[in-house]
Amino acid sequence: MTGDILRILLLLLQLGFVALLYLLLMRFAGSLLKDLRSAEQAQIASRSGIGRLSVLESPEDEPPAGTTIALGPINSIGRNVNNTIYVEDDFVSTNHAMLTFRGRSWFIEDQGSTNGTYVNGHRIERPVALSFGDELTIGRVRMRLDR
Amino acid sequence: MRIAWRGAELRLLLPIIVLVPLGFAVTHIALSGMFEPGPMELAIGYVAIIVGAHFLLVAFGHRGDQLLLPAVGAMGAVGIVMLNRLPQDLAGTSALGIELGMAATQLLWFAVGMVAMVAVAVGLRDDGILRHYKYSWAAIGILLLAATVVFGYEVNGARLWIDLGPVSVQPGEILKIVLVIFIAAYLAETRTLLTSARLRIGPISVPPLPYFLPMLALFGIVMLIVVRLNDLGTALLFFGTFLIMLFVATGRRSYVLIGLVLFAAGFYVAYQLFGHVQARVDVWLDPFADPLGAGFQPVRALYAFGRGGVFGEGLGQGLVTLGGNLTIPFVHTDFIFTAVAEELGLLGAFALLGFAAVLVFRGLRIAALARDDFSGLLAVGLTASLGLQTLIIIGGNTKLIPLTGITLPFVSYGGSSILASSIMVGLLLSISHRTAVGADVEPEA
Repeated sequence: MTGDILRILLLLLQLGFVALLYLLLMRFAGSLLKDLRSAEQAQIASRSGIGRLSVLESPEDEPPAGTTIALGPINSIGRNVNNTIYVEDDFVSTNHAMLTFRGRSWFIEDQGSTNGTYVNGHRIERPVALSFGDELTIGRVRMRLDR
Repeated sequence: MRIAWRGAELRLLLPIIVLVPLGFAVTHIALSGMFEPGPMELAIGYVAIIVGAHFLLVAFGHRGDQLLLPAVGAMGAVGIVMLNRLPQDLAGTSALGIELGMAATQLLWFAVGMVAMVAVAVGLRDDGILRHYKYSWAAIGILLLAATVVFGYEVNGARLWIDLGPVSVQPGEILKIVLVIFIAAYLAETRTLLTSARLRIGPISVPPLPYFLPMLALFGIVMLIVVRLNDLGTALLFFGTFLIMLFVATGRRSYVLIGLVLFAAGFYVAYQLFGHVQARVDVWLDPFADPLGAGFQPVRALYAFGRGGVFGEGLGQGLVTLGGNLTIPFVHTDFIFTAVAEELGLLGAFALLGFAAVLVFRGLRIAALARDDFSGLLAVGLTASLGLQTLIIIGGNTKLIPLTGITLPFVSYGGSSILASSIMVGLLLSISHRTAVGADVEPEA
């Protein structure tokens, strides 16, 4: 008799254990769904850009270090204020480099600057394709291409 | 700094707080026949470790993914309940005069793993150390392998273990992480070159060899040594992870095709050359040809799946013993999934797969949202590695593919495995943290 009661109680606890596993799984599913919905909205709101430049180091503070510059498809970089990205630094040429988005990738091209354009520490000789995360050095200004 | 409370994470951890003690109680009642909860130290210890990891992340202001820790906690919960149910003398440690049973040892490793996970998740503010020293990482990997070849000793026909006094470690587990870091760094750098190649032979475009060679060479060395160490599961895991990362980096189907052909050729050669491989395949094709000898493992496992059925035999009520010994060999490591399927049935096994799926889903999401190519590829590689490892061992258990001895992440008994998997999740957390922090910096117009 007591054995039967024990068996029933055990069965109930056992069922509770499996039920709890599935409760957890349902909660996971709920969190995943909620997250997908909010991610969708966030994407519509903000992720229309094709990339941005994070300024890592800028001795003259123009552009200020720590800021992020949103990029259009064609960006000229130089010490002339008419450039898309205006850089105040004695080692930067008037029209220093062009940063362009073509097809699916970003490209950087030096515009015959005096001190050159560097990608991940290497001076570039011709237009170079960039990956997100690459570091760009123009004069004494260091920037990183981000998504 | 803004405090992130990680409420979603805590909410998901709540069921685990009840789940583990309940599993321990059911096991105790079934095994003892008395209606009492039984010893709860290990269950409480496990819950404390997982919840502790959560509060550590909160304390450090971590803003990364909130579903990874609960997924890990859920897989580990099923694991610790199963390990507690098995005879405690299957494995364990006796170091410094302290004797620890199997579940207690596992718990200890979980504590170490969670500390490592939080340390990586919080400490790695910048991925430069991973990205810029990629050849150093590759060198460390090669050294680890060489050490295994020289100092390693064999367990079950595969030479994987190094004896370090009180503990034995499996360098292959750490090698897994180092290799993913190297491949991610290398692919992030050469990705554009690899995709812009226009060398074509018929319908297949061929990768430009010079950019490819360093990676192929490293990979060849790794495969060679892994095959020499007779560790086929790890070889399959490395190769699969590598192909997935290559495909994600380049988007070229032809590379995957070439990889698969290479794999098929390599496998055929290995089958012809090594008795070890031949035996595995023969047993896989027909385990009932020699049910008491070579086919013993898979036959016992298949029977266990059958006994479990949909609802399972119940915790502590399955797992047939023969003369006091469990009939499924390596039930605490390679065949833990079989034990889960027998005692918790198809339902329990599915739940476990579901938790693993959550882990993979979140890993891929972290990869998709990552702010640079290296972080994205790293996340893909880590996720692929964890996911493939789960698939390979479950496929082996269920006789879908030939059985290879690797662990089920966070579920199987084994310190090296838990530590390595925890570090991998820690890396994923740190990537998602950087994404979250980066999104706060508003772009200037």
